[in-house]
Amino acid sequence: MSVVGDTLSMLDAAERVSGRINYVLNFELPGMLVGKILRSPFPHARLITIDASRAAGVEGVAAVLTRDDFGAAKPSSGKYGRIFRDQTVVAFEKVRFVGDPVAAVAAANEDIAEEALSLIKTEYEEIAPVFNEEEALKHAAPLVHDPRPEQQPMFGQLIQDLPGGSNVCSHFKLRRGDVEQGFREADLVFEDVFHSPAAQHVPLEPHVTVAQYFQSKLTIWTSTQMPHAIRSQMAELFSLPLARVRVIVETLGGGFGSKGSLRLEPITSFLSLKSNRPVKITLKREEEFVTVCKHPATIRMKTGVTKDGLLVARQVSADFNTGAYSDIGPIVARNGGSAMSGPYRIPHVLIDSRAVWTNVVPAGALRGFGVPQAVWAYESQMDMIAERLGLDPVEFRRKNLLRDGDLFATGEKLEGMHYDELLDRAAASVNWTARDARWREQVANKKGPLCRGKGLALVIKATITPSTSAAVLKLNEDGSLNVLTSSVELGQGAKTVLAQIAAQAMQVPFASVSVSDPDTDLTPYDQQTSSSRTTFSMGGAIGKAAEDLRQQLLEKAAELLEASANDLVLAQGRVEARGSPRRSLSYGEIVLRSSQGNIVGRGAFTTRGGLDLETGQGIGSVHWHQGAIGCEVEVDAETGKVRVLHLTPSVFAGRVVNPRLCELQLEGSAIFGFGQALFEEMVYDEHGQVMNQNLGDYNVPSFDDIPWKLSPWALEHQTSDELHGIGETLLPPVMAAIGNAVYNAVGARIRDLPISAERVLRELARA
Amino acid sequence: MKQIVKFKVNGMEEEKAVHTHHTLLEVLRAEFKLFGAREGCGIGMCGACTVLLDGRPTSSCLLLAPLAEGKEILTIEGLAEHGELHPIQQAFIDHNAFQCAYCTSGFILSTKSLLAENPAPTPEQIRAYLAGNLCRCGSYVKIQEAVLDAAARIGHLAENPAARK
Repeated sequence: MSVVGDTLSMLDAAERVSGRINYVLNFELPGMLVGKILRSPFPHARLITIDASRAAGVEGVAAVLTRDDFGAAKPSSGKYGRIFRDQTVVAFEKVRFVGDPVAAVAAANEDIAEEALSLIKTEYEEIAPVFNEEEALKHAAPLVHDPRPEQQPMFGQLIQDLPGGSNVCSHFKLRRGDVEQGFREADLVFEDVFHSPAAQHVPLEPHVTVAQYFQSKLTIWTSTQMPHAIRSQMAELFSLPLARVRVIVETLGGGFGSKGSLRLEPITSFLSLKSNRPVKITLKREEEFVTVCKHPATIRMKTGVTKDGLLVARQVSADFNTGAYSDIGPIVARNGGSAMSGPYRIPHVLIDSRAVWTNVVPAGALRGFGVPQAVWAYESQMDMIAERLGLDPVEFRRKNLLRDGDLFATGEKLEGMHYDELLDRAAASVNWTARDARWREQVANKKGPLCRGKGLALVIKATITPSTSAAVLKLNEDGSLNVLTSSVELGQGAKTVLAQIAAQAMQVPFASVSVSDPDTDLTPYDQQTSSSRTTFSMGGAIGKAAEDLRQQLLEKAAELLEASANDLVLAQGRVEARGSPRRSLSYGEIVLRSSQGNIVGRGAFTTRGGLDLETGQGIGSVHWHQGAIGCEVEVDAETGKVRVLHLTPSVFAGRVVNPRLCELQLEGSAIFGFGQALFEEMVYDEHGQVMNQNLGDYNVPSFDDIPWKLSPWALEHQTSDELHGIGETLLPPVMAAIGNAVYNAVGARIRDLPISAERVLRELARA
Repeated sequence: MKQIVKFKVNGMEEEKAVHTHHTLLEVLRAEFKLFGAREGCGIGMCGACTVLLDGRPTSSCLLLAPLAEGKEILTIEGLAEHGELHPIQQAFIDHNAFQCAYCTSGFILSTKSLLAENPAPTPEQIRAYLAGNLCRCGSYVKIQEAVLDAAARIGHLAENPAARK
């Protein structure tokens, strides 16, 4: 019986097409209030006074939350933050970006809440702000956090604490070989600077949280990818045992990394505590824009090569702008930093990758987690170097590809490398030939404004390591199976894929498997639904739980059938004696006759690893996500407009569990990268205000924009049981592939994303 | 200020006292408890709140609720007949033309309107017509397949009424 490998419809497909799928957005409780947030109009200012007395007096207002509700004399400090405690539930002494929450109200309805917000009196004293990551690092730059916020002890092994007095939030270091020696050995050294801007996740479902504090128990229904991390942080804020904080997640309307760290949970929960009523906050789209974004990053990349095209040394200085609050920024800078050598053998590598505090919207995880910024730099530079060496960029890459047995920049030995196949696929997808590498000569020969060009890019990406997932399988008296898991369904099809894995492992029909939604009171621990880890990690946990359950079934069946467990086998929902299938019992019969009600299997899946704080050496990833993009573009040399004609995202997928859901992930990643390549950028004015905080001014790819031909390809090893996550891998290389194709078309090298028509024209004018 | 408005939603007439400044989307969700239309942008750009108003796709986040009086409002919940999914819904399932599905109600209703105007659209016409519905998960390729398939299924049903159950 095979279920893994089949294209099955999503378990809840009928609910999804009939409008009945239950997002947290729909959730209501009796007596529920509406919460609204007052936000800072200044990028950096001292909050001199805040007076909410008039707001509190409005009829229908049940609670107003300000800094007066927190502090040493109050039950809660109001301070939180996953890595650094640099955030407060509402502003205390300072506001640090335009949109920073200053106060909040809970009221009978939205209109009353809005009126109450307008009655909160505030007085600010502006402080010089700093917006740009490079400006923020200058001596005498205004300090966003002073004194330096306290570090959460559990992150001490991942992120080195630093002295105060600067805007450097974190500093990841990687030291391999002797980079100076490497540059001396190199024939040529290239140095370039690349920039990625802030971008939005834009899950169509906004952040939404319902909180109820009642009888010393806090229950939160929230749009999060990390129910257990939310539980532990809220337990700390409320000084409650973990068991008295319950986090429940319904299906999400997209996440893409935005729904990870604490967002609305603290404000909503404290409003509930204060009003003694359930409270719901739903963000408006313009508020989404000031809640979390992709890290802007400036990356200086210096690469030494030999004349015949061997990479010898690379030095990188990367600054990730983490905005006003660090969120998960230090880990993004670390993950992006450790990826800077790309899928290439480079003996001497030195990387400094910082997260930097500034007075803009806090940046957090976004699909790819720092790697999109890294690939934009290193794959753009690979083509630039190839041209300057007079080499074919495909062959230049091939000379340097990581292969089995090679060491990565982190010093770990790599196995299961598939870059030769992926590079071949990307090149073949655009019919790349040696003629295509004749750069400027080719450009000069083009006639008319419409020029076509080809480009490709590769990616190597870690999955979060170490990590832990746990699963419970509950076998019922009719032989059906409940999978208890805290993996979050955010549209990627996690529930369906996990059901397929469970059905196969237990040899039961797919239709008899049900997968839970996360509920921290009921479902076992999972670190997070992110980092392309669910299929691999939760799938692994389900595999282990199935082993446990099978063993128990065999032992019970052995008693009942008076046989040795070794002589029994599981097949299609039954345990039978090897060779005599008529001596058999259905799972349901075994459960009934075991007098236990259910038979429950448990499993946990843990990976180990970590990088040294001084050298970045160690185990960066339990296995590596590998991908390639090939694309062809048409550039209008008169208008600068870029059209992507054809995009081929290719990924190493190990064994594919559900081919159609896999394709959707590959296409979705590619389209997400396409938007970031060509037009997605949060634009700030000189006062730190986001200028395009709506979907009219900030465009995401529509049907009209996307490439006409999108041909995803998953490299499968069907003989192996190895599962690879594929949810993010193909976003990061899209931007560089398109950038390289634009250069190939018209000779305009774009170093700052997005590749807008204006930038293309500017470069053409310069060329 | 509240006003009594006579709505006709999914074939049922019902009077509601609504605030005159509230949108049809707010009323559908708060008063009718129909959650299939959802706010994505609040300014009529994303299409997640699409409903059919006398058959025409309308952003319910932009329409003041009293202005819907006298019009036939069709939401995604009203599309299935006698518990049977509409052929467009079935085509969306068969092609898995969604991921998070937040946008799906809007895509399906816009598709219904498209196929009413143009029973056999080309891929180009599908892309142009559905450009006002955003799918951030990027399921466009499968959506296009589903719409082409739905057109074929509906065409087949029209030619062979006996095939309808």
